[in-house]
Order: sequence, then C-alpha cells, then structure tokens
Amino acid sequence: MPKVLLIEDHDETAQQIMDELSGHGYEVDRAATGIEGLDKARAGEADIMIVDRLLPGIDGLTIIEVARQEQVRTPVLVLSALGAVDDRIRGLRAGGDDYLTKPFAILELIARIEALLRRPAENRDTVLRLGPLELDLLERTATRDGRRLDLLPREFRLLEYMMRRKDQLLTRAMLFEEVWNYKFVPQSNLVDVHMGRLRRKVDPPGQPPMILNVRGEGFVLRAPS
Amino acid sequence: MRLPEIARTQAFHWNTFRGSLVASGLFAVCVILIIAFIYWPTSRYVTSSIDRLITDRANMFSSLSPQERLQALQQHLSEDPRRVKLAGLFDSQGNRIMGNIQSLPRGLLLDAPAQELSLVRIDAVGREQQTARTVARKLEDGQTLLVGRNTDELTEMGHTVERAVIWGLIPALCLGCLFGAFLSIRTQQRLNQVNQLIQRIVAGELHERLPVQGSAAFSELARLINGMLDEIEALLRNVAAVGDDIAHDLRTPLTNVRMTLERGRNKATSLDNLKASVDHAITGLDQSLTMVTALLRIAEIEHSRRLVGFRDVELAELVRDVADLYDPIAKEKDVALMVDAKEEIRVRGDRDFLFEAIANLVDNAVKFTPECGHVELKLCRIGRKSVVRITDTGRGIAASERDLVTHRFYRSDKSRGEPGLGLGLSLVVAIVKLHGCQFAISPSPTGRGCVAEIAFERAASQDS
Repeated sequence: MPKVLLIEDHDETAQQIMDELSGHGYEVDRAATGIEGLDKARAGEADIMIVDRLLPGIDGLTIIEVARQEQVRTPVLVLSALGAVDDRIRGLRAGGDDYLTKPFAILELIARIEALLRRPAENRDTVLRLGPLELDLLERTATRDGRRLDLLPREFRLLEYMMRRKDQLLTRAMLFEEVWNYKFVPQSNLVDVHMGRLRRKVDPPGQPPMILNVRGEGFVLRAPS
Repeated sequence: MRLPEIARTQAFHWNTFRGSLVASGLFAVCVILIIAFIYWPTSRYVTSSIDRLITDRANMFSSLSPQERLQALQQHLSEDPRRVKLAGLFDSQGNRIMGNIQSLPRGLLLDAPAQELSLVRIDAVGREQQTARTVARKLEDGQTLLVGRNTDELTEMGHTVERAVIWGLIPALCLGCLFGAFLSIRTQQRLNQVNQLIQRIVAGELHERLPVQGSAAFSELARLINGMLDEIEALLRNVAAVGDDIAHDLRTPLTNVRMTLERGRNKATSLDNLKASVDHAITGLDQSLTMVTALLRIAEIEHSRRLVGFRDVELAELVRDVADLYDPIAKEKDVALMVDAKEEIRVRGDRDFLFEAIANLVDNAVKFTPECGHVELKLCRIGRKSVVRITDTGRGIAASERDLVTHRFYRSDKSRGEPGLGLGLSLVVAIVKLHGCQFAISPSPTGRGCVAEIAFERAASQDS
C-alpha cells in the first residue's frame, strides 16, 4: 500500500483528497501546517508527497527545498491556487516533480500521483512491446501482430508515451504536457481528436481494442486480455 | 473608510496661521537688521567726521599766538546759527577766559583723542546742558583750550529711526497676522469643502465632482482629481459590466447542471441512469470552472510583470507545432490548414504563453471557417518585425466589432451558437501585451475572412 504524505492546510480540500486517495488504496498521512509537514517530509517515510504551495508557518516551496537539500528523494506533486508561469517554474525549480493548479479534478490528481509513483525506469531497449503491439524506436516503426501501422510522427510519440505508461490512466492534460510538451489546456477536444486518429490505426475493426477511453477522464493503453 | 483629514482640521488651521506669524516675524527682523546696518555706519561716519573737524580746529587754535587765538575763537563762535559749535579757553585754575562753555567738564582728558562729554553751554540765548564730542589741548601758558561740537542732533536722529521702526513695524506685523489668519481660514474652508465632498465620494457617491474655482493651484488640483474620478467611475462601470457578463455566462451552465441533477434525482431508474446525469452535471461544472480559471489566468497574465519564464523561443517550431495540433480538427471539418514557417526566427518570450496565444487564434480561425475553406498560418519577416499571421476564409469580423472582440466575454451575435467562452481573444491580448508585441485584426484583402497578426519587434541582436 503506497504511503502518501499530504501537506495541506485547508481542511475540506484535505479531507476530500484523503477520502479519494484511501478509496484508491493509498495510505494517507496529513500534515496541516508547514512545520508539521517539514518534520514528516524529513522523516522520509512517504512514497510520495503532495504539497500545497501556500501554508501557514513554512511555505510549501521551502519545505521541498529543505527536504531536497537533505537528500530526501521522495517525488513531490505541488498544488497551488496560483497558476502563473513564474509560479510553476518556481515550484519545479524548488524540486517539485509535477505541478497542479487548483481547482483540479480529483482524478487528475490521482492520475498524476500514479504516474509519479510508477515512473518508468530508464530502459535502453530500442523496441517497446505490449501484447501484439511493437514499437521500434530506432526505425520509428510500429506494428500490431506484425502488420505495419502508418503513424505520423506525433502519433508515434503519443503511442510511445502510452506504451511506457501502460495500464495507467493518462489525462488529457498529462498527454498534452508530455507529448506536445506545452503547458496549456486546449479548449476544444484536441487531444481526443488526435487520440481518435491514433486509435483508428492501432485498433482496427474486429480486433480487441487496446486504447481505452475512460469517460470524461482520459485514456488507458492496455494489452488485450 | 473615514478620511483622517477632518480630525486634523484644527491643527492644520493653526499651522497655516503659525506659518504667517513666523513669516511676519522674520520680515520684522529683516527690516530691523537693514535699518541697523544703515544707522550704525552712518552715525559712526558722522561722529568720526566731527572728531576730525574739532581735532583740526583745536590744533589750528593751539598753534596760534594768544592774541590771534582769541580773535579766531571769537570768529569761530560767531558763525554758529544752529548753536552746535562749542569752544572755551580756561586759565590754569580752570576759570573761563572766554567761550561758550560754562566750566571745564568733569572727566576731561587733556591732549587725548576726541571724547564724548556732557557740558553746559552759555550764550546769548541762555544756559543749556548739551552732549558733545570734545577735544582739549593744554597750551604752553598753562591755559586749557576746549573745542567741541554738539551731537544732540545725532542722538535725535537715532530716536527718530527708532520711532519709525516701531510705528512702521507694529502695523505691518498686525496686517501680516490678519492676512495670515484670513488666508488660513479661507484655505481651511476650501479644504473642508473638498474633504466633505471626498467623504461623500468615498461613501459611494462617485458622480460627485470637486468645484473648479478660485486660485489657479486649487482649481488645477480640483481638475486633476476630477479627471481621476472620471477614470475611476468609468473603470468601475466597466468592472460592473464584466461582472454582469460573468454572472450571465456562468448562470447558463450552472442552470443546466441544476436541471440535470434534478432530473437525474427524480427520473433516474437505475444507477447507470443516475451516473449519466451526474457525468453530465460534472461536464457542466467543468465548463463553469474552465471559465473562472480562464478569467483568473487572464488577470494573472495581465498583472504579471516578471519575466522569469522568458527564454529564446523558436517561432517556426512553435508555429509548426500549433499547426500539427490543429491539423486533425481542421481535416475533420474539411478545412485546409496550411503552414508556411520556413524562416528560423527566434524571439524572447514564454513558450507556453506564445503557443497558447497562437493556438487560440488558430482555434478561432478553424472554428469560424466554413467547410472547404482554408486557414493559413504564416511566419515571416516584414521590415524590422517578425510576424505570425493567421488568415482565414471565415465570415470575418465587422469593422464595428474589431475592437470589441478583444473584450472579455464579447461574442459576436453571429457566433452565439458556437461553443466557446468568449475569452480567447482577451487572453491573446493579455499574452501579447506581456510580450510587448502588437496584435491586430483586419479584414482579409480578398474580401472574405479576416487576418490576425502578432508582430514582434526584432532586437538588433536577433538579426541574422
């Protein structure tokens, strides 16, 4: 059972996050002030930390900086009501691994925690495989059951990212940040349209689908059972 | 909020008055100093002239023979219409031989420089106590020669000056104080009036204006404050209008959410049914949240002055990425999206913001271009500027609406049916402002659709 340290002063927000995380099988330890949070962060017992940016006592970014200086390597997700670019950059510079602006969908938070906990190990394989799907990173080719898929460069990168994070829920914002590499939430269903095109190529009719749409939340790539 | 000025009114009143009092006092001191500087040298000059004169005379008389001396003294005293000349010859016992001095005065120094003495004058008119500058000489036959000149005139002059100063200055000081009091009271009345008006304005009566009258300084100040009030009133009205718009635009999705939830609660027959309603409601709430978030973002960008995130950004790559992102959507709509970004142009900026701005413009262009139309995304250099230009063949924007479209929540009546927040262009404008570039929307030269341009001023170092 992965342990989460939640440093958040707002009771209601904290309670909601805790309920949701417990429901997803996490053990949650909450700190309501910066000082308490820093103590628990230093102890280094958690597998992941969620840190609110603005806290009474010690600021969230300071906690992260101090913990990082003391060689605490626990992944950190920063929460903030401030979404300005400067603030995000500061959050990541301080040693945060991901940044989420309030208000956020709780599932976005879960998906990002999952992603941080299951960060793919650096592997030097040049071929990624998942069920019938095979991706050759050197040749930039993709095949399903040996049949060549005709992918555009962006579709290839999208598929590569999903294969590295198989079985994980990937939200639109995450996909957009990682595959397009811009921090920006598009207004239209842009990611869906791109995903739709990729899906038509990866999941031809008559074969079990591998790209699953989790309604309203995001996408999962899974080997057919 | 209560302005503290009213409480300090009396103190301020006293300050003004004290100011004029101090000014009057200084004025008096200056006048006294000027007069003193004139009086003292003058009286010293006159005294030393007298001293020289009587010393010369005394020397001259003592050099004569006794006979001639008597004659000369007679002569000297006879030409004295103003009764200022004094002379006397006394024997060794101190008895008067001749002259108009009754006796040798006390404290007389012989053969010394001129001195001031009080003595008694005797002549045809009578006896008179006089103050005089005198010189005494011991003559060879034991006699004493005394020559002097009356200085009462000089003393009288001193008294006159003194009186003039006193009688001139007292009214001047009184006048100064009165004028000061008058000024301070008048200023106070003005300030009270302004204070009261300002209090009313602070209390919410924003239409109030200060009276523009009286002295130039006051009316100028009033004019400035009135100008400021005009601006504030206009801004407030604007804010109120934006607030109304926000309320209006938020109410629609929220009403939908409410209806959906109500229907779900009353009509749902299965858990799946209920879940579908809830999902629908969540979508509606997300829409409202997106709107609020977008508004906050615009405000944040507008107020952001720090350029921490600014780096060199490759515009060509950025433009190609935007095109790549929108290509599938354009294809689905059967709109041709063409990109022309061959030139490598680098600008200083925030990559994510610039992407967002260009993406917003392309989003609009694709949204408002009908089937079989085309959208062109072009990056080029025009003179000293780097320009990102988005041309579409949509319905265009009427000249009357070209400014309005950049306002928050403004949506052309024709676009009411399209999905969107009406915030896209305000966001673009905020981002463009943050980067110090220019943004313009103009009608397409072909007559259909419009052209949106973001122009970056190129720094000298970026010329290649």
